[in-house]
Amino acid sequence: LETTLSPQAEVFEALQQLHMTVFSQSVSPCGKFLAAGNNYGQIAIFSLSAALSSEAKEESKKPMVTFHAHDGPVYSMVSTDRHLLSAGDGEVKGWLWAEILKKGCKELWRRQPPYRTSLEVPEINALLLIPKENSLILAGGDCQLHSMDLETGTFTRALRGHTDYIHCLALRERSPEVLSGGEDGAVRLWDLRTAKEVQTIEVYKHEECSRPHNGRWIGCLATDSDWMVCGGGPALTLWHLRSSTPTTVFPIRAPQKHVTFYQDLILSAGQGCYVNHWQLSGELKAQVPGSSPGLLSLSLNQQPAAPECKVLTAAGNSCRVDVFTNLGYRAFSLSF
Amino acid sequence: TGLSDHEVIRKRLLIDGDGAGDDRRINLLVKSFIKWCNSGSQEEGYSQYQRMLSTLSQCEFSMGKTLLVYDMNLREMENYEKIYKEIECSIAGAHEKIAECKKQILQAKRIRKNRQEYDALAKVIQHHPDRHETLKELEALGKELEHLSHIKESVEDKLELRRKQFHVLLSTIHELQQTLENDEKLSEVEDAQETIMEADPKP
Repeated sequence: LETTLSPQAEVFEALQQLHMTVFSQSVSPCGKFLAAGNNYGQIAIFSLSAALSSEAKEESKKPMVTFHAHDGPVYSMVSTDRHLLSAGDGEVKGWLWAEILKKGCKELWRRQPPYRTSLEVPEINALLLIPKENSLILAGGDCQLHSMDLETGTFTRALRGHTDYIHCLALRERSPEVLSGGEDGAVRLWDLRTAKEVQTIEVYKHEECSRPHNGRWIGCLATDSDWMVCGGGPALTLWHLRSSTPTTVFPIRAPQKHVTFYQDLILSAGQGCYVNHWQLSGELKAQVPGSSPGLLSLSLNQQPAAPECKVLTAAGNSCRVDVFTNLGYRAFSLSF
Repeated sequence: TGLSDHEVIRKRLLIDGDGAGDDRRINLLVKSFIKWCNSGSQEEGYSQYQRMLSTLSQCEFSMGKTLLVYDMNLREMENYEKIYKEIECSIAGAHEKIAECKKQILQAKRIRKNRQEYDALAKVIQHHPDRHETLKELEALGKELEHLSHIKESVEDKLELRRKQFHVLLSTIHELQQTLENDEKLSEVEDAQETIMEADPKP
């Protein structure tokens, strides 16, 4: 059912698609759907199972439903076993996955962390789920990490220490500790039980990885308990956390905006259209081109309920979300 | 009647399946039997009899062939069933092997990851000097430090002694100077008194 738009509206829509940036992605708990959030505040829900099936047509690569979620860009999304949480313009909203495919879906709840002044509404750049505590960590423009209890919706702690806004969060499951990286160039480790900063790594101070011409900002962070990989202004580097030593610097000039550990590899993406596959030794195993000129987020669908939808999806400075069925090549792209 | 027609056609097709004209032959046999019964001469009857026998043997041959083909088909069916089952088994076996190999791949990847983590740390550790060497160096430096501080102490003691001796010397000189000055002053005063007494003698 296509409603015919006036030529002006068509042009507007085309322009919108051209200037779209997809900032965040999240896989549904059943593993069959993918949510993507863009800079216009919209969230689109794609059916991965339909797009991956053998009878997929061009319409299967379009969203099943697109709705207006936030007034500003949707910078970050995570999924619990029943809800989709989205954040961007200073508020975090919760949506029910079971209801989200219905038209006119409304948010279940919306919360705003206690900001220091009522005037500032800093953006929320990163969300992190702490399953053991059933809480959510939010971090962004006000340089603090706020933790919110998911059952009651109350904000329990505010972790202060960063001197500039925070870009990314990661969870170190064994301790449990939260790692945060930000514009001030430091990766800080916080112990959740004592709500204190237990370790600070000032990445830009280390000669091996600092790149002053790019700045000191930490754009992406991932951790594998004893190890941490981070990048951004400084080079993408692998760190041994306990000794705070950088062990491997990955030789790529472009600042990386998303990084994750996967099996025995590290996957990273950023400026440039490639998804880079690294071995821990620093060797580049593969560089797979995507369809966007720059990538901002990677998502690996490892939900056990849908092994047939186990894909890597990458999105960034375009209206498309690339789907890699076998990590080695781009199978096709979903599009807003 | 439509049904029986269908049945008839079906039966005829079944009977005369291979189209070799067996049906026709049997009809011909019936006709030739009647002809043989109605044959006049002995010769004619004999030749007709021979003809009938050859037709019969042809029919028997064709029937034998059909039976053999039927047997063969049955055996081939059995063979195919067997092969089909074997293939099913090997497919199931291959599936299991694939699952096993996938597990092995995951294990191998884990091992590779651990090795690479080990290598990364080892590289960093290599940059740092060996602990024994450093300890030896520390010991040597410690000894040197001790030795030097001994020397420093003894030099300071010497300096102190010299200083004291000089102090004694200087203070003695000073005292002597004072004594000499006092003596001079005393002798000057005495001289002065003498001259006064000489100038003004007592009457």
